[in-house]
Amino acid sequence: MDDFQSAEETTFVVDEVSAIIKEAIESAIGGNAYQHSKVNQWTTSVVEQTLNQLTKLGKPFKYIVTCVIMQKNGAGLHTASSCFWDNSSDGTCTVRWENKTMYCIVSAFGLAI
Amino acid sequence: MEKSSKTPKFSNAALEGGKQRESLSEKDSMKAKRRQSQYPPFGMAPVEEEHYSDSMKTKQFASRASRALKIRYANTYQLEPRNKFRDCLVRGKAQAILTNQLGEAKYDGLSSPSLCASISEEILRAVKELDFDRYKYVVSVLIVEKAGQAMKVASRWVWDAQKDNWVSAKCETETFIALALIMACYYE
Repeated sequence: MDDFQSAEETTFVVDEVSAIIKEAIESAIGGNAYQHSKVNQWTTSVVEQTLNQLTKLGKPFKYIVTCVIMQKNGAGLHTASSCFWDNSSDGTCTVRWENKTMYCIVSAFGLAI
Repeated sequence: MEKSSKTPKFSNAALEGGKQRESLSEKDSMKAKRRQSQYPPFGMAPVEEEHYSDSMKTKQFASRASRALKIRYANTYQLEPRNKFRDCLVRGKAQAILTNQLGEAKYDGLSSPSLCASISEEILRAVKELDFDRYKYVVSVLIVEKAGQAMKVASRWVWDAQKDNWVSAKCETETFIALALIMACYYE
């Protein structure tokens, strides 16, 4: 029983993290249109909010959060990631969000300590 | 007569006591040996600690198969990695891989996803070959078509600033920009 509980606490729970990321994006960018002057601020606030909420979960993890905000222009964007880690305890979650003027892609990686 | 009979008894008792003491010390040395076998020397194979009785084992086996068994390793008393992550080496390798693969390529909506994935795998392989001690890696590659749009990439992390590090490499051509992010996290 002890092992099972500790396993619950030390695995990366994708749904939880995905919800946190969505919330952070909504609150930071929400219904805004793309503005070049504000992008800096937006990316910072999305990433910082996500990271704050993740650390509040209190799990023994190191987190890496990456945010890409791109203006909608018909251009293509591809992203790939490969990781060398422990599959049983580490994980990743990527959330794609868009509105009429921009795309926002947030990836969160969690590595167990 | 009595006196003479007493002394051998004493000596016998002394002998017996000595024998008892010997047997106790044997037991201690056995315990010590057992302890030694439970803690294998520096850097050896891990030790599984079983606390379940035989009757429980079959049940535990099934539940264990579904979740990862936490293996406890012996202490190596190493607080720092022996071969520390050197960002200059990794940056050089990542830049070389990007320019080799993408220097003459043109952005193509169909082939770019697989190209992206293969580049990230190759970078990961190259970093693993460098053989840094006790590190976990995350490699992220972005390929963006140049179409006059603006883009912002931001990253933040919560980690050990003394031991963990990151490297980025960029390759720009006429039709696209490729960005590679390599993050290394120390893991004991």
